[in-house]
Amino acid sequence: MAENAQNSVQEQQQQVIELLAPLELYLSAGVHIGTHICTSYMKKFVYRVRPDGLYILDIRKVDERIRIAAKFLAQFPPDKIVAVSVRQYGWKPVQKFCHYVGCKYITGRMLPGTFTNPMLDTYVEPEVVLVTDPRADNQAIDEAARMGIPVVALADTDNRVENVDLVIPCNNKGRRSLALIYWILARQVLRERGQLAPDQDLPEPPEAFEMKLQRRA
Amino acid sequence: MAATEPKISIEEKTVVPICSSCNRPITPWERGVAFRCPNCGEVIIWRCSKCRKMSVEYKCPKCGFVGP
Repeated sequence: MAENAQNSVQEQQQQVIELLAPLELYLSAGVHIGTHICTSYMKKFVYRVRPDGLYILDIRKVDERIRIAAKFLAQFPPDKIVAVSVRQYGWKPVQKFCHYVGCKYITGRMLPGTFTNPMLDTYVEPEVVLVTDPRADNQAIDEAARMGIPVVALADTDNRVENVDLVIPCNNKGRRSLALIYWILARQVLRERGQLAPDQDLPEPPEAFEMKLQRRA
Repeated sequence: MAATEPKISIEEKTVVPICSSCNRPITPWERGVAFRCPNCGEVIIWRCSKCRKMSVEYKCPKCGFVGP
């Protein structure tokens, strides 16, 4: 009995080590918190439903998808990746992510035609698009679908995944959650490219990716 | 000289991509998408616009990754 208990503890420790970030870090940032609504496609990433109706995401699947997305993004040249965030809580994480990975970013309102109209000054021709919220960033997704560009999206339980080619399930509404997800993703992309050692971290902590709250006067 | 050349139809010259989700050919005027498998990076996955729109799952024939 004691051996079995010891083995199970060791297995749990090994499982914790397998995650890209400690489980406590994920939980404290609220990456696993979903919403009260769940779309049919996102059901497979749900761990459980709380008695109050809140859907909770499976951290293991989140972690696995971040690894896969990092592998996918590392296939492309850095200047051919575009990260998009219309929502304010994603501005700083996206900018920091692009600073480390070397890609382009679009924060705030996305001018229609950015991917489709070569006459615009803001025209870019990406090979892959990373969006923060499929509902808010629908302009980027629509244009990417029209141009045949693959789309990677951070999706919460209430998001629809139309025209999305790779989903990263996570809480895309929380400030700290977005910061942690982009921090891990940036670090893992650099590790996949060989620019960081497998046990090396970014020079900045995840808190540096957080959008700072501004107090109103 | 032109009469001796074998007649090849355009269907024989072009390779029509097949959608990985519905296994139907993707027509040239349709905006499909092609990308390497996110997990193994060895197989090229094609998705037609209809499957993308309806979020139909695709599966990598090599590593078994199921997306999106």
